[in-house]
Amino acid sequence: MTMVLALVTDAFGGRGGIAQYNRDFLSALASAGSKVVALPRHAPEAEVPPNGVEQRPAQFARLLYSRFAIVEALRLKPDIIFCGHIYMSPLGWIAAKLSGAKLVIQTHGIEAWSRPSRLERWACEQAAIILSVSRHTRARVLDWAVIPPERVIVVPNTVDDCFTPGDGSGLRCEWQLEGKKVLLTVGRMRVTEQYKGHDRVIETLSSLIAAGHDVVYVIAGEGDDRSRLEELAQTAGVGERVRFVGALPHEKLIDAYRMADLFVMPSTGEGFGIAFLEAMACGTPAVGLDVAGTRDALCNGELATTVRIEYLGQTLVQTLNTRKNNDLSGAVRERFGQCVFRERVAGVLTELTDQHR
Amino acid sequence: MCGVNGIYSYNAAASTPKESELLATRDAMQARGPDGAGAWWSADHRCGLGHRRLSIIDLSERASQPMIGHDGRLVVVFNGEIYNYPQLRAELEQSGAQFRTTSDTEAILHLYAQDGEAMVQRLRGMFAFAIWDSRRQGLFLTRDPYGIKPLYTANDGWTFRFASQVKALQSGGQVSRDPEPAGMVGFHLFGCVPEPFTLYREIRALPAGHTQWVDQAGPREPKRFANLAAVFSAGSERPVLTTELQERVRAAVRDSVSAHLLADVEVGVFLSAGIDSGAVLGLMRDAGQKKIRSITLGFDEFAGTAEDEVPLAAEVARYYDAEHIVRRVSEQEFHDDLPRIFDAMDQPSIDGVNTWFVSKAAKEAGLKVALSGLGGDELLAGYPSFRDIPRWRARYGALAAIPFAGRIARKFAIAFAPSFVQRQPKVVGTLEHAASWSGTYLLRRGLFLPHELPALLGDEVAREGLRRLRYAQIIRAQLTPDPGSNIARVGVLESSNYMRNQLLRDADWAGMAHSLEIRVPLVDWQLVTALAPTLAALSPGMGKAALALAPRVPLPEVVRMRAKTGFVVPTGNWMRHAASPAPLPTMGQASRDWSRLVLKRLATPFAVCAA
Repeated sequence: MTMVLALVTDAFGGRGGIAQYNRDFLSALASAGSKVVALPRHAPEAEVPPNGVEQRPAQFARLLYSRFAIVEALRLKPDIIFCGHIYMSPLGWIAAKLSGAKLVIQTHGIEAWSRPSRLERWACEQAAIILSVSRHTRARVLDWAVIPPERVIVVPNTVDDCFTPGDGSGLRCEWQLEGKKVLLTVGRMRVTEQYKGHDRVIETLSSLIAAGHDVVYVIAGEGDDRSRLEELAQTAGVGERVRFVGALPHEKLIDAYRMADLFVMPSTGEGFGIAFLEAMACGTPAVGLDVAGTRDALCNGELATTVRIEYLGQTLVQTLNTRKNNDLSGAVRERFGQCVFRERVAGVLTELTDQHR
Repeated sequence: MCGVNGIYSYNAAASTPKESELLATRDAMQARGPDGAGAWWSADHRCGLGHRRLSIIDLSERASQPMIGHDGRLVVVFNGEIYNYPQLRAELEQSGAQFRTTSDTEAILHLYAQDGEAMVQRLRGMFAFAIWDSRRQGLFLTRDPYGIKPLYTANDGWTFRFASQVKALQSGGQVSRDPEPAGMVGFHLFGCVPEPFTLYREIRALPAGHTQWVDQAGPREPKRFANLAAVFSAGSERPVLTTELQERVRAAVRDSVSAHLLADVEVGVFLSAGIDSGAVLGLMRDAGQKKIRSITLGFDEFAGTAEDEVPLAAEVARYYDAEHIVRRVSEQEFHDDLPRIFDAMDQPSIDGVNTWFVSKAAKEAGLKVALSGLGGDELLAGYPSFRDIPRWRARYGALAAIPFAGRIARKFAIAFAPSFVQRQPKVVGTLEHAASWSGTYLLRRGLFLPHELPALLGDEVAREGLRRLRYAQIIRAQLTPDPGSNIARVGVLESSNYMRNQLLRDADWAGMAHSLEIRVPLVDWQLVTALAPTLAALSPGMGKAALALAPRVPLPEVVRMRAKTGFVVPTGNWMRHAASPAPLPTMGQASRDWSRLVLKRLATPFAVCAA
């Protein structure tokens, strides 16, 4: 049995795309027969990991976390150290070196797009494998890392089986959106992550209204940039057309995807964009920019519409009338479903086993 | 000799490849294979293979490619020739294989079915091929031990692509053109782009003597199956006596030339006034070839001078009763052809123009195949580098090993003798680089030295390119295990760098641009394995003398005694004129200027600064 020690920012009980990816990845390792011990730095919510995964209590303080990681590496003697973020790569390398484990480093999005510190870069170059969530992130990693390209492998995000097409009319009713065309974005609103593109959608609303769409833009998520966006909506004269609904609990999030007419996230900085998958898995058409990891989530425009930034408004006008299509859900699962994801992770394990034969 | 390509969408997230991309890539190699074209798709349409054919062995339609095995399990696209195909076929038939063609391509299919990936050890020849294995659901690629035939790959993380040319891969429109600083720095250091790098980050050469496996989990790291240093190292453990040298060389080169004549079309020969091509011609006659046409380039500029190779080549042709063709090339024709030369040049190179014209002449003569004496100098220690590199290491290595000595000396020279530094840039680099084999080799073969790069490429590209290139590590790996003698060490360096990345690559693009297969019987794994034990016994000139005496009727004395002239055809001067109208002091400076012109004329992803 392969023993994996996972050094992660957050996983079970965490929020956001990286925590979701870690959960999926560690669960897939466990389902491939590995024994996984996860060391998170944060775990704001209680969540029971699946069989085969053991999550230690979160340890936020950096020094304590590092000591904890090294002690666990020496005690468990893992076969693999999975390092869930580039900034942990030097610690991952030390733990791997001391325990004789192979080092696997996960790269997601913008944290890996520009050259990291020398120490982090060096640690990455010692990795047995670097995983990237998208082709774009992989390409950027290969821009700065001197590592055989075959060792940088794309394992895209996956989508949970609970995201399926269904009836979202209950939520429409609750939010009083009957008869409206609903645009939806799901994502954090952070000052440091303004690339998500909420403001771009807000700025196009007046042209959608002018084109005859009785449109409402629903923004799900929280963050310190919300007040700026609220002000922007007011300034643009579409304050009543923009609804900030906050972070949604899981079940309500699924309903939100189901009730929306179009999911839109014109982000320039997505490592992948898991929300696209969730929306499309619920049968909701999506629009994103033809850049970075979004291209992968939308399969170069084959699953949904990719657009250059200057044509966003025009494209939204045209696609708001796109009918929902349950086939879209199947197509998403065929490429990014849990089953495919588990196969990919098993492939990574095989590659690690083969590397030093 | 052909053009091969393929696309495999190995990641389930990837869309199935587009037929238009497969065909665009394939047909960008039209000149490599004007005799036919084919395409094949796997049942799920996730893997496509393309092929352009230059028919040499079994000219019939049944030998077309992609070729599917008898049970449908295997499909191959193949570029090259397998010279021991008749022996392999006999063995395979004894084991029960049933052949439908008389093509060496089919032998590859049967051999893979029988031996799997280990089959590469049994192939003698020049080859680059890919086999789709439907049972294992994966793609097997390989390239011959010397890297005579090219094979480039591109992997974006979802889809794996390959082709015989960099430009062909780009023609498909789906491969990134992001720059690779290591390729650019490598070109400036050596005058050619050292493999596995290209000028593009996503495109890499499958290294010579390697295999690669690609399946649903993606491409694996290439695995080496042939190591020249190991061949020399093993040879040094069982050295032969000097008295045995002649017989050993004669037997081995006869065998190689004879094997290289396998073809269903006429095989000609490139003939200069040197020993290598002359010996190849003599050995062709020994091998029983009846009709031999030899081709020599002639230049009016050299008429009546010692540099004119035409009279001596004509004498050698008469001597071996070859039908001799002298092709005159003028400076005007050179300038007229330059756009086509740059168009055909797959990666930047500071050489290859002479091969362009002799290939053009061969095509005009209706030849599809020609033998070349390329590789004789690397095999039998014919270059001055075999003497210079060990000598420079011995003289300056100890001084150069003193920390910072070289850098201080260079700074000192730049401050107090700037004009000398400009005229002799390599002299000031001696104390900086002579401490290692990689550094000394760079001094001997380098176009620019590392300290000159920031001025040419900018600080960032130069620094990052050197860091990514790691040429010292590459050369250390080439010299592992220790080849056993200085001659063997230089032999490995010349064969694995100058010959592989420059001469053989130039022979490929320049020959293929004229749909001509250039065969190199002095670049042969079986030959080098046979001669490896002789290397330690060689003194300067001895190896080439043995080659001159190898034909049953040895080369005439006037050829044997002729001093080695190197590349003294006026294309050197013409390149100089094309690169810079001003008179240039040295050939080295001319090469530097020519390299800048090459970069300007080939679309590269880098800004090119003035020299």
